[in-house]
Amino acid sequence: MTLRTLARPWIWGFVASALVWATILALSSQGGGQTVSLALSLAPYLVIVGLGQMLVITAGPGNIDVSVAPVISLAGFVAVAATAATGSVAVGVLAGIGTGLAVAAISVLAILGLSIPPIIATLAAGLIASSLTLSLADGFTAVPDEGLRQLLNLRPAGVPVLAVAVAVLTALVVALLSRTTYGRSLLAVGQSRPAAERAGIPVARVLAATYLASGALAGLAGALLAAYIAPSPDLGTRYLLDSVAVVVIGGTLISGGRAVPVGIWGSALFFILLDGLVNLVGWSTAAQNLLKGGLVLFVLFLAGGGTRRDATTSRPRRRPRPATAATAATTTGDNTHG
Amino acid sequence: MHVDNLPVGPLAAPPSGDREPTGAQPVVTARQVTRTYGRTRALTGVDLEVRAGEVLGLVGHNGAGKSTLMRVLAGLEACDEGVVTVRGQEVPRDVRPGAAEFRAVRMAYQETSLCPDLTVAENIWISSRRCLPRLRWRRAASAAVQRRLDEMFPGHGVVPRDRVEALTLARRQMVEIARASLVDRLDLLILDEPTESLGPDAARSLYDHVRTLTARGTAVLLISHRIREVLSVADRVAVMRDGAVVADKPAAGLSEDDVLVLMGAEVAAPADPGPAPAAVPAGDRPVIAELRAASGHGLHDVSVRVGAGEVVGLAGLAGQGQQEVLERLWRPVRKDTTVLGSRAYVPGDRQRSGVLPLWSVAENLIVTAMRGLARYGVRRRAEEAAAVRSWVDRLAIRGGADAGMTELSGGNQQKVIVARAFASTADLVLLDDPFRGVDVHTKTDLYSLIREEAANGRSVVWHSSENAEMAHCDRVYVLRAGRVVAELAGEEISEERIIAVSFAESTEAPQ
Amino acid sequence: MTNLVVAAVPPRAQLRRLAPAMVSTIAMFAMVAVCASLQSDVLTVTGLTLILSATVPLVIAAQAQMMLMSVGDIDLGIGNFVGLVTVITATKLVSSPGTGMLFLVGLVAAYALLGALIHLRRVPSLIATLGASFVWLGLGLFVLPTPGGSTPTWLATFGSWAPAGFPAPLLPILVASALVWLLASRGSVGVRVRAFGSNPVALQRAGLSPLAARVVAYGVAGALGVLAGLLLASQTGGGDVSSASSYTLITVAAVILGGGSFRGGNAVPWGVAIGGVTLGLVSVVLSLLDVPSNMQSAVQGAIVLAVLAGRVVVGKVLR
Repeated sequence: MTLRTLARPWIWGFVASALVWATILALSSQGGGQTVSLALSLAPYLVIVGLGQMLVITAGPGNIDVSVAPVISLAGFVAVAATAATGSVAVGVLAGIGTGLAVAAISVLAILGLSIPPIIATLAAGLIASSLTLSLADGFTAVPDEGLRQLLNLRPAGVPVLAVAVAVLTALVVALLSRTTYGRSLLAVGQSRPAAERAGIPVARVLAATYLASGALAGLAGALLAAYIAPSPDLGTRYLLDSVAVVVIGGTLISGGRAVPVGIWGSALFFILLDGLVNLVGWSTAAQNLLKGGLVLFVLFLAGGGTRRDATTSRPRRRPRPATAATAATTTGDNTHG
Repeated sequence: MHVDNLPVGPLAAPPSGDREPTGAQPVVTARQVTRTYGRTRALTGVDLEVRAGEVLGLVGHNGAGKSTLMRVLAGLEACDEGVVTVRGQEVPRDVRPGAAEFRAVRMAYQETSLCPDLTVAENIWISSRRCLPRLRWRRAASAAVQRRLDEMFPGHGVVPRDRVEALTLARRQMVEIARASLVDRLDLLILDEPTESLGPDAARSLYDHVRTLTARGTAVLLISHRIREVLSVADRVAVMRDGAVVADKPAAGLSEDDVLVLMGAEVAAPADPGPAPAAVPAGDRPVIAELRAASGHGLHDVSVRVGAGEVVGLAGLAGQGQQEVLERLWRPVRKDTTVLGSRAYVPGDRQRSGVLPLWSVAENLIVTAMRGLARYGVRRRAEEAAAVRSWVDRLAIRGGADAGMTELSGGNQQKVIVARAFASTADLVLLDDPFRGVDVHTKTDLYSLIREEAANGRSVVWHSSENAEMAHCDRVYVLRAGRVVAELAGEEISEERIIAVSFAESTEAPQ
Repeated sequence: MTNLVVAAVPPRAQLRRLAPAMVSTIAMFAMVAVCASLQSDVLTVTGLTLILSATVPLVIAAQAQMMLMSVGDIDLGIGNFVGLVTVITATKLVSSPGTGMLFLVGLVAAYALLGALIHLRRVPSLIATLGASFVWLGLGLFVLPTPGGSTPTWLATFGSWAPAGFPAPLLPILVASALVWLLASRGSVGVRVRAFGSNPVALQRAGLSPLAARVVAYGVAGALGVLAGLLLASQTGGGDVSSASSYTLITVAAVILGGGSFRGGNAVPWGVAIGGVTLGLVSVVLSLLDVPSNMQSAVQGAIVLAVLAGRVVVGKVLR
């Protein structure tokens, strides 16, 4: 492994998960393959949410979706209720995705219509979703569909069906980013929003699609997770921090413009294996959180954000008046001409 | 301590004690100073001396190296080679902003160096804190800036409690100049385009104050593109060209034309402005874009018409409404604007709104055309690659299609961004002064590209701050203070004519 | 005519700047009025003490958030940080006050260090503080895995202090806001911090260190976070690392309601106090209105959206 490869941040997720896996192997009598198989059946949920969060973070500085956690919980209830009411698993999963889209639609309206910063818009949409979740949870009696649960637990030759499906989904996201105009536009917006605007990219439409995609993916994760475990108001709680963390450790550029979908697998597996290790050793969740946080900070400070000079030092001003436009021009460009 | 730089008293005695009000003592000297940014050699060996008690005018074209020289003289950055001395003492190589050597050298920036969210008094504290008491600094700063503004700009209307954001451009400029001059000892005051947004009265009282400053032994370095103004105020004029001072003469006896000649004729203007334009009289072309008496947001009653296959220029001094016209045409949301057909935009500030830094040349070039080539939102890579190849060849973009965008020189980056717009199917291409700081060969290539594309039926609206470029247009609108003051066509378009119209009555500068 | 227009500009600009806080103030008084109309006891000292006490730690945590937002950053770790402080207060500060104090000072230093690293490595604060929030949570669980412990007597005494003349919670709110106001709005330290948020280039040209400005902002935020944790512990009588996890996002909303912005450059301590109290009162109003507690977060979310939408409208009208 050369230094150049090590400098690619996404490698750290895989390295860390390999280390944790080796430790588990050394400590337990459990077979190594079984550990991997178990991790592969739990990681896909996090990967689904992480892919959505990755798209949002790729849209550039300030973009983040903090509504994923309440969306997962809400979509879980909605999906289980819809499945119970119609008897169709497909309708249930679609209802879950629809829930995610609906919550994301509120965020999109607030972000684009009212110019509210994404963090506040998605926070507010998430608060609304969590209230709906609590109302639904009151006296909720429907049980998840047994067929879907069995499907999610299916592991032919030790490889969970869901892991294969999510691997295909990841491949689709990779293709989306490189092969479609939407994907290219998103990457352009993330690199430089003013440049993307001037290049004729419909920035508002791209942003809307991105937040809707994130909502839909969170909804999907919620629908599946509710069938796998059980619907509960806390179903999604850990996924807010975890989804952002797996994106960062996965090597996606935090200042936007470059997405690494594959890296999410590495960091998601790391998180899941860490859970297993902690249970095995009998460590508290404290250590788990310290390790997670430590790794996020380590990768973050190692990778740095200095690729774009103006990302942290000079923020775009609110109103592009001639005078302020000139200021921005000179602060970023006075080294090249003059 | 006090913030008034009243005549040098015993309190502010210079360390060497050699300060005599002779007026011939050099305050700041630059010897063979060079400065390189990446591939750009901004300064190629500058020799300059600023003497106590004089006003030195510094003129030169965009990109001649004025701003870089100012930054070096003000101690904001170090030079690569050469020597800068302040009051006879050589400045160390690792100079940083705020270095002790440069305490008495102050600069008023053109784009101002104020924090918009802070009040005037707080901004004064930021820059003059060494001369303010630790306690009750707010009151002291308010009193000082109020007094200085009263001296410099009677009737300025600025209250020290105001937030800078709430001030008009002219008042911000006044505060910036007052801020720079507020220090307990001032050896050199650098004024960078100080009158750009000031009214004529304010400009006059500023120059009166400059005279009192020099009478006290302070040196003033004045940078301005208003050559007549420089000639009337300065004792000496230094002309910069291509990163060096090419002339240094007493202002007395110099005429505006002399200075213009020293600044260098417009080398970029070829004798033959391309294929003879205006084969079709402008009135007969189908109109594809139009502004009808547009007002608001910096425009006053502006009417602009663009015919198919026409190259329309927007000329005049910088910031007189040209960008607003382009903005209207780019996003025709108002009722007074009609644009038929699709548009593409070539931004002038390529670092901020042109370059997509993570991508290669090919990716940067094709991003606009990609949407037109794609089918059902899926890219067609073969077609894209073919388009990229042909454009890279046509404009001879050095480095090729796979080079990283940030590895290219400025001129080549600009070629890519121009190609991005023309590679699309847009009917109307808007150019926002994109050729600033681009080398002559690249410019010539791009000029002929524009003419070729226009001959193929595309319309171009072209804002340029270099008047010579306007020779490549079929028609030119000259703007001043948000109004169209002249419309020139065909033979009428000449640099002299444009300058004449844009400067005429320019004494009543925009407020 | 023109003179009139020119003269009208500064007050109008000032109005535009104060408008957000005014909208929030109206919302706050509306809520107190609704409370009072439902339950006349609310306007007595005991009543006000009751409805305000829950907002005290929130307001102070929001002041910490505001310090970071004044340099253009966002703190996604403040909730867990406050939780961690309650845990240390409930354990170490009781068993060995000296070590406990040392721990708390160490936490403030950790915040300053975080700020320095964010600045030097040029990483987005959003992600870095999110990573740090895992660390705070982990440390808190390490010290006290399950909620419990007790508060030092002096803190408990302060928590149960009930003066006759005025509602006790007002005192910490006012004192903390006044301190932050003196520091961030009046003092030269605040000028540096806000100048960094407003125009870092100008700060640098004047020879001031942007790094120092950011570190100071983070240090002050850390100190305010510790204060918020101490006050929360004094009210709950114990430590729980997840007791304040909702603060993270609510504090951001409180700053925005109080007239702050994500852009940096502004310090609005009084607005933040009002915004924090407004958001804190939501639950009181809802319980008095017999709205199921389920709906509480939805109403909070709707209020944030409504106030921000109101600001957009007010901004357009005042333009």
